[in-house]
Amino acid sequence: MSSASFETIATAGTLPGYWSGVLRRLGRDPVAMFALLVILAMVLMAVFAPLIAPADPYRGQMLRRLRPIGTPGFPLGTDELGRDMLTRLIYGARLSLLMGVTPVFIAFFVGSAIGITAGYLGGKVNTVLMRTVDVFFAFPSVLLAIALSGALGAGIFNGLLSLTIVFIPPIARIAESVTTAVRKIEYVEAARASGASALTIVRVHVLGNVIGPIFVYATGLISVSLILASGLSFLGLGVKPPEPEWGLMLNTLRNAIYVQPWVAALPGAMIFITSISFNLLSDGLRSAMDLKS
Amino acid sequence: MLVYVLKRLIYTLPVAFGVSVVCFLLVHIAPGDPLTSVLPPDASAQLQAEMRKIYGFDRPLIVQYGLWVLKTLQGDLGVSIATGRPVAGELRLALGNTLMLAVLATLIGFVLGCLFGFVAGYFRDSWLDKLASFVSIIGVSVPHYWLGMVLVIIFSVQLNWLPATGAGPGGSADWAWDWVHVRHLILPAVTMSVIPMGIVARTVRALVADILSQEFITGQRAKGLLDVGVFRHVVKNAAPTALAVMGLQLGYLLGGSILIETVFSWPGTGFLLGQAIFQRDLPLLQGTILVLAMFFVALNLLVDVVQTMLDPRVQRT
Amino acid sequence: MKKLVLAAAALTAGLGLAGSAFAQGVLRIGMTASDIPLTTGQPDQGGEGQRFMGLTVYDALVHWDLTRADKPSTLIPGLATSWTVDATDKTKWTFKIREGVKFHDGSTFTAQAVVWNLDKLLKQDAPQFDQRQASQGRSRIPAIGTYRAIDDLTQEIVTRAPDATLPYQLAWISMSSPAQWEKLSRSWQEFAKTPSGTGPWKLTAFTPRERAEMVPNKDYWDKTRIPKLDRMILIPLPEPNARVAALRSGQVDWIEAPAPDAAPSLKAAGMQIITNAYPHNWTWHLSSAEGSPWNDVRVRKAANLAVDREGLKELLGGLMIPAEGFMPPGHQWFGKPTFKLKRDLAEAKKLLAEAGYGPTKPFQTKILISPSGSGQMQPLPMNEFIQQNLAEAGMKIDFEVVEWNTLINIWRAGAKHESSRGATGMNYSYFIQDPFTGFMRHLQCNLQPPAGTNWGHYCNADMDKMFDEVRNTFDAAAQAQVLERIHEKFVDDALFLMVTHDVNARALSPRVKGFVQAQNWFQDFASITISP
Repeated sequence: MSSASFETIATAGTLPGYWSGVLRRLGRDPVAMFALLVILAMVLMAVFAPLIAPADPYRGQMLRRLRPIGTPGFPLGTDELGRDMLTRLIYGARLSLLMGVTPVFIAFFVGSAIGITAGYLGGKVNTVLMRTVDVFFAFPSVLLAIALSGALGAGIFNGLLSLTIVFIPPIARIAESVTTAVRKIEYVEAARASGASALTIVRVHVLGNVIGPIFVYATGLISVSLILASGLSFLGLGVKPPEPEWGLMLNTLRNAIYVQPWVAALPGAMIFITSISFNLLSDGLRSAMDLKS
Repeated sequence: MLVYVLKRLIYTLPVAFGVSVVCFLLVHIAPGDPLTSVLPPDASAQLQAEMRKIYGFDRPLIVQYGLWVLKTLQGDLGVSIATGRPVAGELRLALGNTLMLAVLATLIGFVLGCLFGFVAGYFRDSWLDKLASFVSIIGVSVPHYWLGMVLVIIFSVQLNWLPATGAGPGGSADWAWDWVHVRHLILPAVTMSVIPMGIVARTVRALVADILSQEFITGQRAKGLLDVGVFRHVVKNAAPTALAVMGLQLGYLLGGSILIETVFSWPGTGFLLGQAIFQRDLPLLQGTILVLAMFFVALNLLVDVVQTMLDPRVQRT
Repeated sequence: MKKLVLAAAALTAGLGLAGSAFAQGVLRIGMTASDIPLTTGQPDQGGEGQRFMGLTVYDALVHWDLTRADKPSTLIPGLATSWTVDATDKTKWTFKIREGVKFHDGSTFTAQAVVWNLDKLLKQDAPQFDQRQASQGRSRIPAIGTYRAIDDLTQEIVTRAPDATLPYQLAWISMSSPAQWEKLSRSWQEFAKTPSGTGPWKLTAFTPRERAEMVPNKDYWDKTRIPKLDRMILIPLPEPNARVAALRSGQVDWIEAPAPDAAPSLKAAGMQIITNAYPHNWTWHLSSAEGSPWNDVRVRKAANLAVDREGLKELLGGLMIPAEGFMPPGHQWFGKPTFKLKRDLAEAKKLLAEAGYGPTKPFQTKILISPSGSGQMQPLPMNEFIQQNLAEAGMKIDFEVVEWNTLINIWRAGAKHESSRGATGMNYSYFIQDPFTGFMRHLQCNLQPPAGTNWGHYCNADMDKMFDEVRNTFDAAAQAQVLERIHEKFVDDALFLMVTHDVNARALSPRVKGFVQAQNWFQDFASITISP
């Protein structure tokens, strides 16, 4: 991802009607719209899980464990403790989405704050902030996430914290480079010269032009975050039993691949569907914002 | 050029320093006394004090850090708590196994990624583009640990063609490039290759499309001039970036191998990292993370330098 | 059709190559441990470590008779040919050392070597003292006070107090070669690479975490136990799935603890599933430390009444014996406890209410569990199942999942130690083969950590008095009667969450012949052969 294209967008962001144009173009993109529908369905599923789910996600019966897909009463089979898979998959959307989206969401704010501050103030502040960010950016993301949660220990909070720390550096770097670019644009320079307070300049000019591109970048991180968050649970470093979460379900069902292989693979398919939808939507958003096309 | 390389080197040093500090502190943010897992529970108070001294935990943090760095620079990463074996030896063995897997996966990913990316970019907006783009977006969206499971289900459980786990009948110690061993490598390598495949494909597609949209080329193509010339032009211009992406992907695969190695019980650094985490084996944890992160930093440096050499216009910072 | 032929060709080519890479008579075992057990003498990795790395490469003074499958094993002479207690001073034991036994390095085993090995574990200022082995072995021999070699072939051990269980304790202690250690510049790290014991197997090579290779010791002193195999290879495969996959694809010939779910498909593939009763207990060891909710007997009983043991058996495909007490049903020490372990949710809820728990004050606590481990069976699903059971009675359980070796260390540190992270119970599986491992180490007042492994800090005067009786009763029948009373008290006070006994399942390739599965944690591999 080159920051050059973001700079183009940043400058374009001030043009009247730009954002409505983006939305219009996005609305005409069938793939992105389909992805958006899938994501909305997932979110609704998570929110209304108790209303939709046919059974209790925690209660199982040993006598009907590991039933295949298509068993009457259990359309997607049952898991290793005889719990209804469909129910667990529906409930799983709650923690999986939470664990996947929240870190990017928080990192979006924290990272933007760091990047914008560094980019706007420049100088020593920039050096200190960005060099610190660079250190964390120097770790491969999976390694950093696993090292942090490995050190902190399993649990939902620790998992969220580790993932947030992982996503702050890339967002901060983008925010910094876009802000630096915007700062140099003439009218911002002019505003500075006219004596507008720093806060006003940041609020009116910089934020208005910068947040959009960072947001698009952040949407692209959601799928990575989803995969990573479930990956942590898959390793036993995230959500703990008996909570329904797709990564953890994949972990506990892995021992059943010789008995009910396709039931065992279901939670992964959910992660996959969600993650690819976020990627398609993000791609759609990006091309909708790209003035060249 | 030389100036750039020097500048890049000097820039790397503080980052490397920072990375070492983070690795060092990771162990100290871990809840509980790091000695708890070092000492047998029935250790006397006297022995505890002795061990504290041996491990240097009685000194100020900054001194501990300095000593740790000094020892590390001499290639001494300490002794694993769980096994009593030197961490450096454990790591060397594991790193070899992971490198084998990651390099192979990167190569597969690169070749396929270039193919899909080129086809998609060259025939932009055609159905071929759509197909290739879809394959590459699958590559970056699929949870690879799940893909690994699915491949095991298909090729090991159902078809019984390929082994599901391990590095061969004799472990990695007597690895050989024969079918008995290589068949163990196939599933993990293929699984691992999907992410670089997706990323390389997306990058190459964008590059190719960008190059082809340049007026000079559109003119040539409009005139119906030979595609070979266009192809050479595209390759020449896209190669540095594609290679750089590949290099970085290798680094990500090395650092992120834990998920795949867990699925396939592959005896590499990721597997080691998993064990270190679950046994709270702090020296092993610290050493493994440090080596992997430094590897990544060095790779980044190398990629930048090589990329600049190939194409002096690109100077990443 | 063509595709099918190709597939079959690929399959046979693969199998053929895999098979031909090995000579006959090589037994490859998939262990549940995640690493090769410590090779220096006292292995880690629990009972499995002792099974594969302790009693293979090393010998103890006293051995278990592992030749019978039809009755519980008894003690037999090992490196000691006989032992006696002094008629007047019941603390003084004399062991006659077997003559002419050689270590793998050629040096001779003597009583001095016994002293040297005990110092290795007990004497912190001895040059050969090894913290790693000591932390494994010290807790096995709490009875030992002093010891000396009277001559090359006579060993004296004086216990701290009269203790009839000393031979059981000594069956744990491996004898490493002092000469080899001296030769390797007194380094246990070097010794670990080229260990030397007196056992029927010699360790020839190992790759950490991946494999260990042993060859028979053709000069072994017990000619009936010289292995028939050419080699034995140990492969750590902590993932149940990986073990099944390895057995099915012919990478190993033998796996420990096959996942019950996989058992039917393994049988269908022609594998032998071997089971036998053995003195094993899978339990939640409950804490009696201050503040533990389990200090109330009503709560302990409620939890025991909430567990659905039949459902658990179903979960394990029948590969378990539901607990009726702490000892397996029918055990000689079982006695006649009045508290019956059955599922009775109403009674459980009633007891909980009496104990003051209810909707306004829900019961909630934390239990330590491990994802795998020697004797731990299928800890994750089993614990999750019990968690569901208890939830139905209104008891909310949180799990703290730690690796097996970590759990062992926590178990030694005690419930009050910070490494227990505030948990009030731990899922542990016990070797309950003798009075000490069966009862005393868990329940005796003065074996509370750090002195011993009474993890839960249980302390009860009546119980302690009965333990003293056991130690002072050198007549077996009378001793068994005291042990019955101990077990009755154990069950009636519902000291632990008594869940199940394992059946020691292992899956063997049809090529493995001649294995006799003893009713014991340990097994003998001498009689095994591999048919081509």
